[in-house]
Amino acid sequence: MSAYLEAADEMSALEHLHELGCTDGLPIIVPTPDRVARMVLASGLEADMVLGIMGPGNGTATVEKVAVAAVMAGCLADSMPLVVAAIKAVMEPEFDLTEMQATTHCTAPLIIVNGPARHTCGPISSGFGALGPGHRGNATVGRALRLCMINIGGGRPGSSDMALLGHPGKFTYCLAEDEEGSPFPPLHVDRGFQADDSVVTVIGAEAPHSVIHSANADDPQDHEKLLQSLAVGVANMATNNAILTGGSVVVVLNPEHATVLSNSNMNRETVANRLFELTHHAKRDRLGGMIGGAANDGDYACFTEPGQIVILMAGGSGLYSMVMPSWCAGAHNNSAVSVMVDTDQFCEIPGLE
Amino acid sequence: MRDGISIARLGIPAVALVTEEFWPQGDFVANSLGMPEVPRIQLPHPVAGTGDSNLARVAQDVVAEIIERLAA
Repeated sequence: MSAYLEAADEMSALEHLHELGCTDGLPIIVPTPDRVARMVLASGLEADMVLGIMGPGNGTATVEKVAVAAVMAGCLADSMPLVVAAIKAVMEPEFDLTEMQATTHCTAPLIIVNGPARHTCGPISSGFGALGPGHRGNATVGRALRLCMINIGGGRPGSSDMALLGHPGKFTYCLAEDEEGSPFPPLHVDRGFQADDSVVTVIGAEAPHSVIHSANADDPQDHEKLLQSLAVGVANMATNNAILTGGSVVVVLNPEHATVLSNSNMNRETVANRLFELTHHAKRDRLGGMIGGAANDGDYACFTEPGQIVILMAGGSGLYSMVMPSWCAGAHNNSAVSVMVDTDQFCEIPGLE
Repeated sequence: MRDGISIARLGIPAVALVTEEFWPQGDFVANSLGMPEVPRIQLPHPVAGTGDSNLARVAQDVVAEIIERLAA
């Protein structure tokens, strides 16, 4: 059982938690024992069940501590299985959470939700403004992960989280794939799961960068022009992907752009293959200071293999897709990690919001 | 800092070099890994990208202390 703090009232408790550095700077829901107990109960898991150890502070992530963060973030109890899955994902060794929390780069964990949990554990939005304000599930699930990273992992700016600036996705960074509107199989299916599985895929990512392309159905090279624009976005010479190389990257195709590619008989694999080809640069063009200076002949690849290019479909219909370059460092080079969401344990509590 | 701690745990003398700006992070990592007293020496910040002559000056300033700490 976690230790308790005491306060005269909710406002005093809120201010005390701010003073202790336990918040993300925004108001939180005070995690009273009753609220936390009900969140734990809804998870269907034991309060003292250990999910793993979170770096860099090596805090033990129990279900109860995660429930504290979920309460603070304002999560509905329905979302608890997603929060638990996201916590498990970032604690997989391949995610390199300790190094990611400590780096000077701005990276933040992007949570991508696939499968039925998009509807039953949120909902988690995938349409217009899915990465912006107004979507409670997206806002609170990502925030719960961040509060775990602060209070269990110990990542605090300037002393253990050394991001020079960070980015707004460090408050929350969560969306679902628009599986119903996508011309491609769902992301989690292409990553080896069943269509009716619920899966979170987590990847350390920069803030989203917009990529403009105005589709032209009369142009037989329309898909290629779109891919060229996306390739500039994911690995332009200012990104770690182009300088450090070998890390993953995220491409979020809007419905129109996905249709441009599918109308040219492309799928996720062939899109990734082409982006892999288009992100080869001439060695002499390599910038970046710490690496640059060698005017060698020949090309180099920004990615180790096409599978590092994580492609999903989300957003409203229009001109803009999004790309998220990445940090490309850590022992596993900024890998994406997918974890099944365990919804079988979820316990519906009458009257529990 | 983590490298210094990992090497020290192998029984090999180690001194972590930590710049002034990262000194609090070094303390945090040392404490969280259970070796708060792991040897470390403070460097000015920044070091990276400040040029060979400055790096030589920084090295000159700390090399004796590094050797002393490694030999202790």
